[in-house]
Amino acid sequence: MSSEEYANTNSYKLSSLAVTKRHGYKVSVRNLNSWFGSKQALKDINFDVKENTVTALIGPSGCGKTTLIRCLNRMNEMTSSATVKGSVYLDDIDIYANNVDPVIIKRRMGMVFQKPNPFPTMSIYDNVAAGLKLNGIRDKALIREIVEESLKGAVLWDEVKDELGKPGLSLSGGQQQRLCIARALAMQPEVLLMDEPTSALDPIASAKIEELMNELRKELTVIIVTHNMQQAARVSNHTAFMYLGELVEYGPTKQIFENPQKELTERYISGKFG
Amino acid sequence: MNNTENSPHNVDHRKVIHEAIVRKNYKRKIVNRVFTGATIACVMIAMIPLGSILFEVVKNGISAISIEFLTQPQGSIIRGDGGVGPAIQGTLLTVGYASLIGVPIGILAGVYLSEYAGNSKFAYTVRFFNNVMTGIPSIVIGIVGYIVLVITIGSFNITAGAVALSIIMIPIVVAVTEETLKLVPNSIREAAHSLGIPKWKVTLFITLRSAKNGVLTGIVLAVSRVAGETAPLIMTILGTSLFFQGFLSPVDALPLRIWRFASQPYEHAHSFGWGAALVLIIMVLSLSILLRFLVLEKSFKSGSLVKM
Amino acid sequence: MTRLLDLGIDRIRNIIMDMAKLSEKSVTTAIESYEKGASTKKVIFEWSEQLRVLQDEVGDLAIELIARYQPVATDLRFIRSCMEIAYGFSRFGRYAYDIVDVLETMGSIANCDKSAVLEMSCTVREMIRISVQALQSKDKNAAEKLYQMDDTVDALYRKYLREAITPYEKADKGSFDPRCYISALLILRYLERISDHACYIGDSVHYIITGMSSPRR
Repeated sequence: MSSEEYANTNSYKLSSLAVTKRHGYKVSVRNLNSWFGSKQALKDINFDVKENTVTALIGPSGCGKTTLIRCLNRMNEMTSSATVKGSVYLDDIDIYANNVDPVIIKRRMGMVFQKPNPFPTMSIYDNVAAGLKLNGIRDKALIREIVEESLKGAVLWDEVKDELGKPGLSLSGGQQQRLCIARALAMQPEVLLMDEPTSALDPIASAKIEELMNELRKELTVIIVTHNMQQAARVSNHTAFMYLGELVEYGPTKQIFENPQKELTERYISGKFG
Repeated sequence: MNNTENSPHNVDHRKVIHEAIVRKNYKRKIVNRVFTGATIACVMIAMIPLGSILFEVVKNGISAISIEFLTQPQGSIIRGDGGVGPAIQGTLLTVGYASLIGVPIGILAGVYLSEYAGNSKFAYTVRFFNNVMTGIPSIVIGIVGYIVLVITIGSFNITAGAVALSIIMIPIVVAVTEETLKLVPNSIREAAHSLGIPKWKVTLFITLRSAKNGVLTGIVLAVSRVAGETAPLIMTILGTSLFFQGFLSPVDALPLRIWRFASQPYEHAHSFGWGAALVLIIMVLSLSILLRFLVLEKSFKSGSLVKM
Repeated sequence: MTRLLDLGIDRIRNIIMDMAKLSEKSVTTAIESYEKGASTKKVIFEWSEQLRVLQDEVGDLAIELIARYQPVATDLRFIRSCMEIAYGFSRFGRYAYDIVDVLETMGSIANCDKSAVLEMSCTVREMIRISVQALQSKDKNAAEKLYQMDDTVDALYRKYLREAITPYEKADKGSFDPRCYISALLILRYLERISDHACYIGDSVHYIITGMSSPRR
C-alpha cells in the first residue's frame, strides 16, 4: 500500500499521537456489549470520558465494572471465552475495528491491577524499564531518564533512588503498587486504567495513591474501578454507577453523591444494598 | 428474643467440647509421640539403602581412583593398567549431546502446552502421550534407537545414543517446564501484556524468566537420570576402548563400562568397576550441587518466584 | 438490618418533631396570652430555652453523623436541612417569648383593637402547621403555598403600619393610646418573621426531596 494509504490506516493513526479527538472526549464508549461464553456481562454501555479527568466506576460485586475497564484496553481478550460487540473510541479511533493491533492500544492505555504485581525476577530499575526494553528501546541514557521521570511521577523516586538494584519484591505493598504505576507510566500512556488499585493496601498507602491520582490527572486521563465509594467520592470528577452489567447513572461526582437522579443509585451509595 | 432459649444450650455445647478435649488429652499425647516416632523410623529406614550404597561405593571404589584411572584408556585388565578415560569422556559427550537435543525441545514443548495450548483436546492428547512416554522402559527406547539410527547409519554411534537419551529426557523436561510455568501467577503475564509487549516476548522474557529456577531443576533431574542409563546405550553406542572418534562412531560411557567390568571375573575389573561407579556418582552429584548453587545464588539475589 | 446511620437519623427526626410541637405550642400560647391577657412569660421562657438546647443537640448530632458515617444523597441533605430547620423552630420559640415580653412591658392593653394581630396570627399559625405537616409528609410543594401566604402576611403588616401612622394625621386624637399601636406593631413584626421562617422550612423540605435549593426571595 502506498504511504498515503498507510497514513490513513488505523494502525498508523493509533501509533501517532497527533490525532483529533471525538467531540472533545478522550475515551468514548458506544453500545458496548460483552459476553463470557453465553453469559452477558455488559449491556449497552455508553459514556464519554474527558481528557485530564478522573472517572470512577462503582457498583456492587459482579456488576461488570472490572469487565468494562478491561474492555477499554482490550485486556478482556486474555480470557479465552470473552466476546465483544460495540465500540470503544480512543480519541477518534475505534479500538475494536478490524485492522487495529491490540498491542498498540495497550501502549497508549496503561493498566494497574488490584494486587501489586512487579516482575519477580527483576530489580526496581529493571521493572520500570521492562516495558521500554522489551519494546525495542536501546538508548541507555534515554531509558535511565524515563525511569527516573516515571518513579518521580509515581512519587516513589525519593524512597528508592539509592536502591534501584534491589529486587522489586523487597518493597512494601504500597511501594510495590507505586512501582507498578511507575512501570505503567514509563510507557508514556495517555490513559491510565486502574482496577481497584488500593484495595490490597493499608489506609496510609491508599491515601498516597489517591493523592497521586490527583497529580496524574494533570498529564493524563485516569479511569478507576473502586468498590470503596468514599474513595470514588474523594478522587473522581465523574462517577459511573453500574449494576448487573448496565450503566445506571453517569455524572459529575458532586451530583451523584449529593443528588443522584436514579433511585437505584441512591440506594447503593446510601448503603442500602450491595 | 431467643437468647434465653439458646444460652443453656450454648453452655452445654461448651461443656461437652471442653470435657472431650480434656478427657482425651493423655491418650492424644501418646498417639502423637507414637506417630512422630513412626515417621522418624521410616525416614531412617529410607535412608539406609542410600547410605549403604554410598558407603559401599566409596569404600570399594576409592582405591581405584588415580590420575591414570581418570584419564587413560583401558589397558590390560588382568594387570590393572589404564583407566576409564574414554568412558568419562563418552558420558560427558553423550549426555551433553543428548541435552542439546532434548532440553530445547522439552522446554519449548512445555512452553507450548502451558502458554499457547490451554485446555484444548490437542493439548490434552499431547500431555497424555507425554506421561505415557515417561513410563516407556529405557531398553525399548534403546531398541528403537538401534533400528532407526544404528542400522540406517551402518554402525553403532554416539548420535544414536544421544538421540535415545534425549527421548528419555524430553518427557521429563516437558512435564517439569509445563508445571513450573503454570505456577507462575497469571498476574505477571497480565502485567506484561498491559505494557503492550507482544506475546512471544512476554512468554520468553517474563514468564519463562520467572520460572527459570523450576525449569533448571527439571533439566538437572533429566540430565541426572539419563547420565546413569545403561540399557539404551547398550543398543546404540556399543562402548569402545577408544576416545571420541566422530559423530558416527561408537563411543564409551561409564554405565556401560561398569556393567562390563561387573561381568568380568578379574579382581582388577571389579575394583575398576567400583571406581567407575564412584566417578559416575560424583559427576551426577556435583552437577546437581553446582546447579543448586547457581540456583540458590540467583534466588537470593533476584527473588525468583518458583523455588523448587 | 438497619444501617448504623439510620439510628442517628431517626434520633434527629424525633428531636425535630419534638421541636416542631413545642414551638407550635409556644407561638399559640403567646398569641392566646395577647388575646386574653394572661401572663405566661415564665412558661414560654422555659420552652424557648428548651428549644435552644434541642437545637444545639441537633447540631451536635448532625456533625457526629457526618463525621462517622459519611452520609450521601438524601441522608446528607436531610441532615444539613435539619440543622437549618432546628434553627427555624428555635426562632419560633424566641419570637413567642418576645411577644409575651412585649405584653409584659406594655401592661394592660385589654381595650385595644386586636383584630389585625389576630387576623395575622391565624395565617401564621396555619403556616406553622403547614410547614410541620410538610416535614412529616415530605411535601415538596408546600414551599410554594407558604410563600403565597407569606405575601398576604407581608401585605397585612404593611397595611397596619400605614394605619398606625395615619392617626397622627387625623384630628381625632382623643382615644389614641400609643401602647396599642406599638404593641400590635411589635407583635406583627415578630409574626412576620415567624412566617418567613416557616417559608424557609418549606424550602428545606423541598431541598431534601429534590436536591435543588430555592433562591431566597
